[in-house]
Amino acid sequence: MKKTIQTLSLLLFSALFVFATYRMPDWIPADLYLRIDPLLGINAVIASREVIARVLWSLLLVGATLAVGRFFCAYVCPLGASIDGLDYLFFRKKKRPGLKTDSSLRRWKYFLLIVMMTAALTGVSLVYFLDPIAFLTRFYTFVLHPLAIAVLNLFLDLLRPLSRGLGWVGLSHLHYPQPVYYMTAVTLAIFGAMIALGRLAPRFWCRYLCPLGAFLSLLSPLGVFKRRVSEACNRCMACQKGCPMGAIDDDPVKTRGPECIQCRGCAGVCPEKAISFPASFSGIGEYSRIDISRRGFVASLAGGVSFGFVALQNPFTLLQGKRQLIRPPGALPETAFLRTCIRCGECMKSCVTNTLQPCLWESGVIGLWTPKLELRMAACEPNCNVCGKVCPTQAIRSLSLDEKTHARIGTAVLRKETCLVWAQDKMCLICDEICPYNAIVFRPIDGYRRPVVIPSRCNGCGYCEQRCPVKGESAIVVVTDGEIRLKEGSYIAEAKKLQLEFRPDPGDDRFVIEESGFKVDQERREGEKRPPADNPALQKPRGFL
Amino acid sequence: MSSGFGKSLRNLLFERQQIMVENSGGISRRQFLKATAAGVAIGLAGDPSLLHAAEEVDLAVITGEPAAATRKALEAIGGISRFVKKGERVVIKPNMSFAKTPDFAATTHPLVVAAVAQACLEAGAREVLVLDHTLQRAELCLERTGIRDACRNMPGVHVLALQDRKFFQEIRIPSGRVLDRVEVMKDILDSALISVPVAKSHSATGVSLGLKGLMGLIWDRESFHFKFNINHGIADLATAIKPRLTVLDATRAMASGGPGGPGDVKKPNLIIAGADPVAVDSYGVGIVPWYGRTFNGRQVEHLLIAHQRGLGNIDVEKLKITKGAA
Repeated sequence: MKKTIQTLSLLLFSALFVFATYRMPDWIPADLYLRIDPLLGINAVIASREVIARVLWSLLLVGATLAVGRFFCAYVCPLGASIDGLDYLFFRKKKRPGLKTDSSLRRWKYFLLIVMMTAALTGVSLVYFLDPIAFLTRFYTFVLHPLAIAVLNLFLDLLRPLSRGLGWVGLSHLHYPQPVYYMTAVTLAIFGAMIALGRLAPRFWCRYLCPLGAFLSLLSPLGVFKRRVSEACNRCMACQKGCPMGAIDDDPVKTRGPECIQCRGCAGVCPEKAISFPASFSGIGEYSRIDISRRGFVASLAGGVSFGFVALQNPFTLLQGKRQLIRPPGALPETAFLRTCIRCGECMKSCVTNTLQPCLWESGVIGLWTPKLELRMAACEPNCNVCGKVCPTQAIRSLSLDEKTHARIGTAVLRKETCLVWAQDKMCLICDEICPYNAIVFRPIDGYRRPVVIPSRCNGCGYCEQRCPVKGESAIVVVTDGEIRLKEGSYIAEAKKLQLEFRPDPGDDRFVIEESGFKVDQERREGEKRPPADNPALQKPRGFL
Repeated sequence: MSSGFGKSLRNLLFERQQIMVENSGGISRRQFLKATAAGVAIGLAGDPSLLHAAEEVDLAVITGEPAAATRKALEAIGGISRFVKKGERVVIKPNMSFAKTPDFAATTHPLVVAAVAQACLEAGAREVLVLDHTLQRAELCLERTGIRDACRNMPGVHVLALQDRKFFQEIRIPSGRVLDRVEVMKDILDSALISVPVAKSHSATGVSLGLKGLMGLIWDRESFHFKFNINHGIADLATAIKPRLTVLDATRAMASGGPGGPGDVKKPNLIIAGADPVAVDSYGVGIVPWYGRTFNGRQVEHLLIAHQRGLGNIDVEKLKITKGAA
């Protein structure tokens, strides 16, 4: 029964992950698991010093754990399910005698919890690194999803001769865009190491490292279901050997309460059927003993404060907002954004154009895995607002399409020294062709028609930067200047205040003039008196003779 | 007498098919088959005056609602079976390069595409592929333009955006001036090609109609804009890719701001069909003022080049044109 529930939970987690696309209906909470994770929520609330409405969902899990105990780890946690599954695959036949340092290692998860919460108090988001839900979502986003698409496309390619031969048009033309990410290798290495630790002890992560497990174990003593061993016990120790959490003492009658995740594996393996999990309100007592030394507690506090210090007191903090780092539309102001973002990667997974990419070192250690736009690779799609919709802590605000259009992420700047038209008098107009807001117009300058950006019409979507045919760095780049980042309130109102206009309307293309040196019908044109270049109305649009 | 009868029956069918296209979910397979059969039957019985006209008409210019005008235009040009043989595979090339709704006039009206596809099926086409190499994210383009929805319940019709190089194949252009080889969609090499462009302005080529629309069938469209003269490039392409029929959707025309828009959308309410792509485009130049000025086909450089290279007739006044209303 535990395995069934676990599998279903992992499937639900995976399904919600798959649903997180631009097409996602509003009623699907794709970030459900991240929302109900109280650790992520508390961390974001403490670090940002704001109440975040979506975080209230985590009260569901807090309440359930208070009532039932630490059941989440055994039944709901998708990372727990993955660990159990992979453990079965890789380590089921390996001998794993208990670690000698077991009892001191166990305290590590509490130390880590204290470190992370202290870091949050200093305003640094750190819990994401080891929170199981964020951890697994990152793995899914940066490793599993790209891998699945690659395998799927390979399969389709292999199948293509057959599907073409059989005339299955849809299948023979099917190809999924391959998502790619910067941090795939790093994410995979960390995940792999975590699974490899399972070689030392089953559920190594859950026993020793998981801060969410530590947090839930603090809530669990009030839970009604507790392990009870009857007189029939003959001390065969089968339960102790079988417990994946090492929650059974050398005296098999005793239970290390906070460690027990109620998987009931012990009841299953007991030859005497001496173990049961009756509902009891017997309360706290022995069951809640958590052994953290004062020294360990103080050291963890110090660790958290130190991390906060090194993460914040460096030039990256002073340079916030002065660096070329385009954040998603609707992202909170940079400081608040870094404090609130939990690096789950959900926004980057759902991004329809794949432009959202995880940062490595662009904004220092506090910016690891935060989303940025890689506009040279792909643009921000005007018809999509999914990144805010799936953000569990609303570090990217969930905006309507109209609001999102006005959440300007930067401004395009033309680099005349490399632009083909400005520097080489070539006829190129790709930026103008693709711009969804008519923010690029052609003006007659030096006897030639040249592109000019109208900043008040540009919201930084980056189509121009992506499409610019100049090799290497684009001749038109989106810079952070002019970005609008609001903690609250309407972007439309703000854009209006700033006299920006991102509405689709004809623009002033009617003044486009043609002066491109076409050779066709040269004689006739030579015969005509050339209109002066500063009177565009007299000249013809490009392409007309 | 027979003509009158045919006409009323046809009108009935038009209404019916329009319902099918607009609300295709509600039509059963049986109704569909009946309608298709009726369509084929009428195509055979025909309207003598129109059949006769088909022999000599170069262009059909029909005003009306998108679906009805398209059907009427196809009929006026001599029926789609003039261009599509039974059992053939058809590639329809609409403009669905931008993730914009039809009212922007950046993309072909979905009902026009569906009507052409329907006609191909009625003419006995084995399958109909509606293809484009989109500029914006493919699934958004298919969705926003409404073209995928319009063709959803038509068995044998597939709306696809081909965004991977493996679906393209290099061909030579023996008579190319600036382009000697180009990678085109493999699917057009063994199919009947029907071009169904939208009428819009274009900041590089003046207008973007049928010939310019052929650039949606190739892999590397960027190089046209900066490597060589785009107008010669388009003409080169037209020597290698020859649509059997061009159906220009001028139900709306983006008179400025093209090709992506947003722009000044006019409503000529016209469908222009013809076998000569230069002639169709040339007529299309004259239907609205572009960028606030009136032009004729000879004033559009890529059309003039195509005409001079013998790819079609640019002089509209020399063409035999059937006009009508649907």
